Amino acid sequence: MATKASDSGGSGENLPNTSSLSETTSGVTASQLTQPPSSSSEIDTIYVPSYSRWFSSTGIDECEVRSLPEFFNSRSSSKNPKFYLYLRNSIIKQYRDDHPRKISFTDVRRTLVSDVVSIRRVFDFLDSWGLINYSSSSSAKPLKWDDKEAVKSAGDAASEPPTTVKETAKRICNGCKSICSIACFVCDKRVEISEESKSKWSEKEILQLLEAVMHYGDDWKKVAPYVTGRTEKDCVSQFVKLPFGEQFVKESDSEDASEAFDQIKGSADLESGGSDKDGSSPNKRMRLTPLADASNPIMAQAAFLSALAGTKVAEAAARAAVTALSNEDYEVEINASGDPNRQEANAASGGESTRNDSERAWADAKYLIQKEEQEVEGAIKEVVEVEMKKIRDRIVHFEKLDLEMERSRKQLEEMKNLLFTDQLNIFFHTRKARKSEDRVEC
Amino acid sequence: KFRMPTAENLVPIRLDIQFEGQRYKDAFTWNPSDPDNEVVVFAKRTVKDLKLPAAFITQIAQSIQSQLTDFRSYEGQDMYTGEKIIPIKLDLRVNHTLIKDQFLWDLNNFESDPEEFARTLCKDLGVEDPEVGPAVAFAIREQLYEIAIQSVASARESRLSKKGRRGSDHGSASKSSGLSMDLVKLFSFKSSVVRKRKDLDIYEPMVDLLTTEEVDALEAREERHAR
Repeated sequence: MATKASDSGGSGENLPNTSSLSETTSGVTASQLTQPPSSSSEIDTIYVPSYSRWFSSTGIDECEVRSLPEFFNSRSSSKNPKFYLYLRNSIIKQYRDDHPRKISFTDVRRTLVSDVVSIRRVFDFLDSWGLINYSSSSSAKPLKWDDKEAVKSAGDAASEPPTTVKETAKRICNGCKSICSIACFVCDKRVEISEESKSKWSEKEILQLLEAVMHYGDDWKKVAPYVTGRTEKDCVSQFVKLPFGEQFVKESDSEDASEAFDQIKGSADLESGGSDKDGSSPNKRMRLTPLADASNPIMAQAAFLSALAGTKVAEAAARAAVTALSNEDYEVEINASGDPNRQEANAASGGESTRNDSERAWADAKYLIQKEEQEVEGAIKEVVEVEMKKIRDRIVHFEKLDLEMERSRKQLEEMKNLLFTDQLNIFFHTRKARKSEDRVEC
Repeated sequence: KFRMPTAENLVPIRLDIQFEGQRYKDAFTWNPSDPDNEVVVFAKRTVKDLKLPAAFITQIAQSIQSQLTDFRSYEGQDMYTGEKIIPIKLDLRVNHTLIKDQFLWDLNNFESDPEEFARTLCKDLGVEDPEVGPAVAFAIREQLYEIAIQSVASARESRLSKKGRRGSDHGSASKSSGLSMDLVKLFSFKSSVVRKRKDLDIYEPMVDLLTTEEVDALEAREERHAR
């Protein structure tokens, strides 16, 4: 796990707003002795990044509860907040005692009475928040924060996929937006870096991507090999950037989205031709997927981020992103995609000049409902027709039977008549025979 | 059921790895319910912090893993639970501090906390070296672990013997597992709860601060013993 060692690989960021705490603040010590003033002939200022302003040595902040829940869920009697305070304050004190020297995990765990994995977690937490081993020239923070999240979300510390580095870039923008109120000059640079490192997607590749998504849905492991030469992560990020894709990633970077639009305009023509159908089905499928669905990695990340950052912060970020998005030139993008269904939807929404995101979504939903109703009607019609046919067939059958009956009745009549005539014949014969007998006798 | 008779079910892990002329000795407590990938993470971290050659990573990880497996193999087996108050002895040297102590520990108290005990001990005795605390907690845990293993074995024995003959053998099994019977006798109504004078010295903690030469001498003696 990368700690403080030379992680300045990213843009050498200078977080301009750092607050400094002088070493002699009283709150530093917990249960240990206070630093005797004679030992610090010059007062060392210790820098703490502004996003860690919440730290207080006697209290526990909400983000600590969120990131290290094991100490606060009262599942075990000894892992309680007091113990956490002991660990945290001891680590910080140890670091500050030896200030410019970076403290390592092993130094700390040798001196704290606890099981080593809990110590490591607290240590990593403090490290990533810049409360220990922090020097303004290092850019260790963003990478660590991301690692921590990967640990927490995946529960799997060892498997930090190398692709998270790129994800880091994007997510830190978000992070900066919600956590530090610094104008994201830094963020812009990061985003550009990650953009440039990927090659532009050709129209063919985009087509392949859309087909693959239509077939495999959210199974990015299958989509990636289908799209020749692109990794899973590339596919996902590209898909998200596509015009209909970015609709449901509310917290995506606005800068990202604007660049995506420029990209898409270029490839728009082919898209309109071949990918209409492809576009609509994943569109519909993704719309119907709830936001919290874990199978959609982007949404899961976004959901996790918003949970991590707290509700108010996430709300503010989402609102900012939405307003930024809606300020883009949507008309051009809509026409360019040429998807008849979506055009219909947008037409149904009244071709509103207000590019209100929620209204559009509502119109889309309405359109979907209508479609569903039509389908249901069609189904009912079919059912009714089938029933009618059944009845007709039965009627025909009965008619045939009736005909048979008539025929046999007629036959019976004829036979009766024949019988009658036979009987008559016999009668006349016998009478004749008797008459002739009588004449013979006389 | 088998578990460490403490509030937190933590395993004492001891490492002693020699490789290419370098020796790494360590002792710490581990939580067996942590996911196994933590072992590798810890190994990497330690090697990096101590600037050891990378070959140590696998060795460390393997050693930890095998000790964890041993511990887990006992889980699920029955432990003999009876009246168990045992003396725990401390006799350790950590850097410049020497600690000798002996105290009674109740094995049936599953809420006991060696870590808290160690912290309080160091605080009360004014031990300045922060590395002593974890060593004390580790020593206590190690002994508890040993006894827990023994009790599993004795539980198995008593079960087996019960199958053969009945009754009286149960008493012998418990007697074999230590001094507990004597202590119970101690607390009978005849004697008082106050400790006998001759035992006072043994049961008192003793902390000694050694000078560097004494430390070196002791270390040399230990090395000779090890060989």
